Amino acid sequence: MRRILALAATMAASAALVGPAAAKTTVVIGVPDWPTAAVTSEIIGTVLEEHYDAAVRKRPIGTVQLFDAIDRGEIDIHPEIWLPNSSVDVAKYTDELKTLSLAPARVEATQNICTTRETVEATGLKAVADLAKPEMAAKFDTDGDGRGEMWIGDFDWSATRIERLRAKSYGYDQTMMLLTMPEDMAMAAVDAAVALATPIVFYCYAPHHVFALHDIVTLDEPAYDPATWEVLSPDVDPAWLEKSKAGSGWEPAYYHIGYATDFAAAEPEITAFLDKMALTAEDAEAMSYAIHVDGKTAKEVADEWMAANADKIAEWTR
Amino acid sequence: MRSTIARMAALAGAGVLALGIAHATEVFDPNTRTWVPYDPGQAIRYYKQHGQVPSDFQRQVVTFRTAEKPGTIVIDANKHFLYLVLGDFKAMRYGIGVGRDGFGWAGIVRVGRKTEWPTWTPPAEMVARDPKAAKWANGMPGGVDNPLGARAMYLYEGNQDTIYRIHGTNEPWSIGLDISSGCIRMNNDDVIDLYERVPVGAKVIVLMQGAALYRGV
Repeated sequence: MRRILALAATMAASAALVGPAAAKTTVVIGVPDWPTAAVTSEIIGTVLEEHYDAAVRKRPIGTVQLFDAIDRGEIDIHPEIWLPNSSVDVAKYTDELKTLSLAPARVEATQNICTTRETVEATGLKAVADLAKPEMAAKFDTDGDGRGEMWIGDFDWSATRIERLRAKSYGYDQTMMLLTMPEDMAMAAVDAAVALATPIVFYCYAPHHVFALHDIVTLDEPAYDPATWEVLSPDVDPAWLEKSKAGSGWEPAYYHIGYATDFAAAEPEITAFLDKMALTAEDAEAMSYAIHVDGKTAKEVADEWMAANADKIAEWTR
Repeated sequence: MRSTIARMAALAGAGVLALGIAHATEVFDPNTRTWVPYDPGQAIRYYKQHGQVPSDFQRQVVTFRTAEKPGTIVIDANKHFLYLVLGDFKAMRYGIGVGRDGFGWAGIVRVGRKTEWPTWTPPAEMVARDPKAAKWANGMPGGVDNPLGARAMYLYEGNQDTIYRIHGTNEPWSIGLDISSGCIRMNNDDVIDLYERVPVGAKVIVLMQGAALYRGV
C-alpha cells in the first residue's frame, strides 16, 4: 500500500510538471534488537539521506515480525538476515511469496570452542578433541572433582543443545562438566580468568567483541562435514541426544542485507548500493566492541565507521 | 520468568554431581608463582603474625579487561576475589570469604539495598543447629561482634531479596576461605570502601566456576 501511495505521489508531481526530485522517497528500515544490526541501519540510513535524497524512517522490530512487515510493504530494508538461522522465513518470502530479496554481499559468522593465549601456553590445549583427554580436562577443573568445567551457551540458545551434542560426539561430555549460564556470566568468567592467567575454555561465536577484548585462540577441529552431523529435535524424538551426532566443526553462518522486492523495482539505484554494501566480519567485531566495551551508541559507531570508510561508501554509491 | 540465579542450571544437564568432595581453597604464592592450599589454620596463624590477610587478599587496583560497565561487581568465588569495575580496564580487587558446602550459588543479581552496621537475624536452620545463633533468633543488633560486620549490601533478583548479602565480618582472618553461609564476606575496611563506591542498583555477577559448582547450587 505504501508503495502504491508513493507511486501515486510521483505521478501527481509529474503531472504538475514538477521535477521528480520533489517527490522525496521515504525508506523504512527495520531495526532488530542487536548492536550490529542497529549500526548497519544507521549507516544505510545516513547513506540514503546523503546520497539518494531519501527520507529515512527506522522502525525497531523483532526479526520474525520484520519479515512479515516487509511482506506487507510496511518496511523496505532488513539490515541483517542470518542464514541458516532464518532459512525457513527466507525461503518463504523469497521463493514462495517473492516479496523479499537478499543482497549478495554477506558477512561470515562462525561458532567454535575458544580459549585464551595464556591457557594455550600453560596447558598445551590445541584442539577440541584434546578436551576428551582426562589429563587435559583436569587442567580446567575448578571444583576439585577431577573434571574440567566449560561454558557451552545460555540456557535457551539453540546452539547450546548442539554444543552438548558436539561434546558427546567428541567425547568431552565424559571429561568436562558442561555449564549453561547467561552470556554476561560466561564473559565475566573469561575476564577473571585472563586477570589471573588461569585456564579457561568456552563456546564462542564471531563476530564478537571478546576477540578484541582478549587474546583469544580458536581450537582446531575438522571442518564441517555433513556426514558427521545428524541433529534430531527433542520435540521429535525424546532420545534425540543418543541418536544425534555433531562430530565436526559448525557449518559457517552468514548474514545479508535484505529488501522488499517491489522496493528494489522502484528504487534501482538504492538497491544497487545495498547490493554492493559489503561489511566485513572485522567491521562487525569492531562495531560490537564499540557498543559493548566502549559504551557508544549505534549512531556514534556508524558515524565513526563512515568517517573511516569514506572510500568504501564512495565505491558502493558510484 | 526464568531465574538468572543458576541454582540448578549448571548441573541439570551435567549428570554427575561430585557432592561432598573436600575442597581446599588456594592462595597465590608470589615466590613460586603457583596457587597453594590455604586452610583456616594457616589463615588464623597468618593473621596473628601479620595483623592482616595475605597481600593477595588486600584491597588493590588491578588490570581487569571487561565489557562490563564501571560500577559492576564481578565475584570470583573460586579465587576469593571481588572485582569492582572502575573503567579503563581497571578494577578494585578485594579479598573475600565465600559460602561453605551447601551454600554455593551463582548468577546475575543487583544491589537491592544497603545498610550500615546491619542487624543480623540468623536463618531458622542455623537457629536450629547452633545454640549461639539461637540466642539471636530475633535479631542481633549491629556492632563489632555482629557477623555481618560494618556494612551489608543485600542482593536482589528483580525486586526479590535473594537472602544473599555482601557484608563485613567479625572474623577478619577468614578472608580467602569457604566458610560463610552462602554470603560474600569482606573485612570491615573493605566493605566500607565498597559500600561508599557502589550505589543501590549496581549489577553483581557471581561467577559459576569453582566454589559454587559442587555445593548443590
